Amino acid sequence: MGVIEGEKKAFMTGNEAVAWAALAAGAEIMYGYPITPQNEIMQYWTRLAPKHERKFLQTEDELSAGFTTIGGVLTGKRAFTATAGPGNVLMQEPMSMAEAMRIPTVVVVQQRGGPSTATVIYSQQEVTLTCFGGNGEGLRVVYSTSSHQELYDYTIKAFNTAWKYRFPTFVLADGYQAKMRESLVLYDPEERGIEMVPTEAFVGKPGMPGEDRPPAHLRNTYNIEEELEEVLKKDIQEYEQMAPEIIEYDEFNTDGADILVVAHGVVFRSAAIAVRKLADEGLKVGYFRPITLRPFPQEQLRQAAAKAKQLMVVESAYGQLLKIVKDNLYGMDLPIRTLLRPGVGVTPEEVVADLRTVLEGRED
Amino acid sequence: MNPEKLPKRVLEAYIGEYASGKSENAVNRALDLAHLGRKVTLVDLDLVEPCYTLRPLKWKLEEEGVTVLAWDTGELIGLGETGNILKPEVRFCLRHPGDVILDIGYGSFGAQVLNLVEGAEEEQDLNVYAVINIARPMTGTVPDIVDHVRSLARVDGLINNSHLGEDTDLDFVKQGALIVKEAAAILGLPVVATSVMEELAPALRKTDWYGHPVRVIKRYLPQAFW
Repeated sequence: MGVIEGEKKAFMTGNEAVAWAALAAGAEIMYGYPITPQNEIMQYWTRLAPKHERKFLQTEDELSAGFTTIGGVLTGKRAFTATAGPGNVLMQEPMSMAEAMRIPTVVVVQQRGGPSTATVIYSQQEVTLTCFGGNGEGLRVVYSTSSHQELYDYTIKAFNTAWKYRFPTFVLADGYQAKMRESLVLYDPEERGIEMVPTEAFVGKPGMPGEDRPPAHLRNTYNIEEELEEVLKKDIQEYEQMAPEIIEYDEFNTDGADILVVAHGVVFRSAAIAVRKLADEGLKVGYFRPITLRPFPQEQLRQAAAKAKQLMVVESAYGQLLKIVKDNLYGMDLPIRTLLRPGVGVTPEEVVADLRTVLEGRED
Repeated sequence: MNPEKLPKRVLEAYIGEYASGKSENAVNRALDLAHLGRKVTLVDLDLVEPCYTLRPLKWKLEEEGVTVLAWDTGELIGLGETGNILKPEVRFCLRHPGDVILDIGYGSFGAQVLNLVEGAEEEQDLNVYAVINIARPMTGTVPDIVDHVRSLARVDGLINNSHLGEDTDLDFVKQGALIVKEAAAILGLPVVATSVMEELAPALRKTDWYGHPVRVIKRYLPQAFW
């Protein structure tokens, strides 16, 4: 591949980091449709692609972008697409198909205000959609990043996770990460010992079907309920079995915490700054960060929560992370405080202020 | 900055690659001029994301005496890639007395956007500066910078704005100064300045390692989410 020689420190926006990562990962084609705030992924990919003999197709809408990504994957190409907001809503139809047929699609989502067109800017309001959208059971992998380095690292990883486990894989970020500028290290995955999982075609395989090999009988539809049940049982079992290998999370200062702050993505950045500041003052505050929202680090959160007096969930949505947290903590009786700001950024100062209110026993 | 060496009217346009530092340089330039007691107008010529770069800064700039020609967030629906309306005052910005600093942001195909500004083509005293950060992969080498500047058409000078955000060190700024100097020589253009963030500025004096004037940059744009 040799797209990047050695390790290169660069300064860029998150969207660019995604384009560079896809290039470094050996992605062969991007299918795209414009929507703010992810347009620059497409713009940078199309600037870089010709120099590296990669391809691009702009489709007529996101339904098509999702389906053509599936098409590309079916031919054995490392293919991806990116979207946001209402585009993500449209993507649910092709992504349901990818779930049904175990197709390793990679989609980068840059969350913007919702519902509908709302703002072109930012939110964390596409968590439910990205994790459980479509008319399926949410058999997906969703990584939630909080820095440009992670956008780069996890975009590369998404291709490997998708192709190894064969579930649609998402990199979930947001408009702030997409547009803000910071430095990161670009690298060739192979040079860091990351072997890219090989792709393979689903169609056009060599040999006679039925004789040399089983037929490539790709289905997203069944005749009777029991057939569906059999397929889903198998997929669910595989999903649950592979979950421990995929789950990622981070935690800090969880032992005997008076408050355990739970946050993901760019809001985690603010929460972490706030928690570390107060921990430095000797206060018993910790954090738990799910990096994979799907599959969710349930056991790990339960263990951390068991040691805490209460939880505080912080997100730029009205309870989308909260719902997942509560679901995973079912049966555990502990108070959960919330800082919910749908469509609006959360600063470290706001988290600090709220934590102090609780810790100093002052309630508004 | 030497106040005596400044022309009667400072007319400058800042252009360049996405996220090269155009707005940060334009904002700092406007404030530096205003602090000298000069009348300054800062113009937002971002055609794709008009309010987003300057919006949280508009009030601060106005407090410091800079006239800002930019949409207020509430005046405009953010339509992103679908386009937006050029603010009428922006079209006639060069008619403002005093200094005029144009921040030619996102959506520009080089100096073509100046076609939208009345009198820009005829204005001989308008200097168009290409802001270059070698940490931006598309403008990291001399040949890339030369191709890039040529694609911008009308350019009167280069500004070395090489940095890595929080991870910047003087060595990197110096690398940038050399590369931009070499590119400028090929292009036959002057290097107007090396911009350096204020934390690192004390180590440099009035000029950098190659004799380029130093502009001290206070970071204002991180307050703008985009």
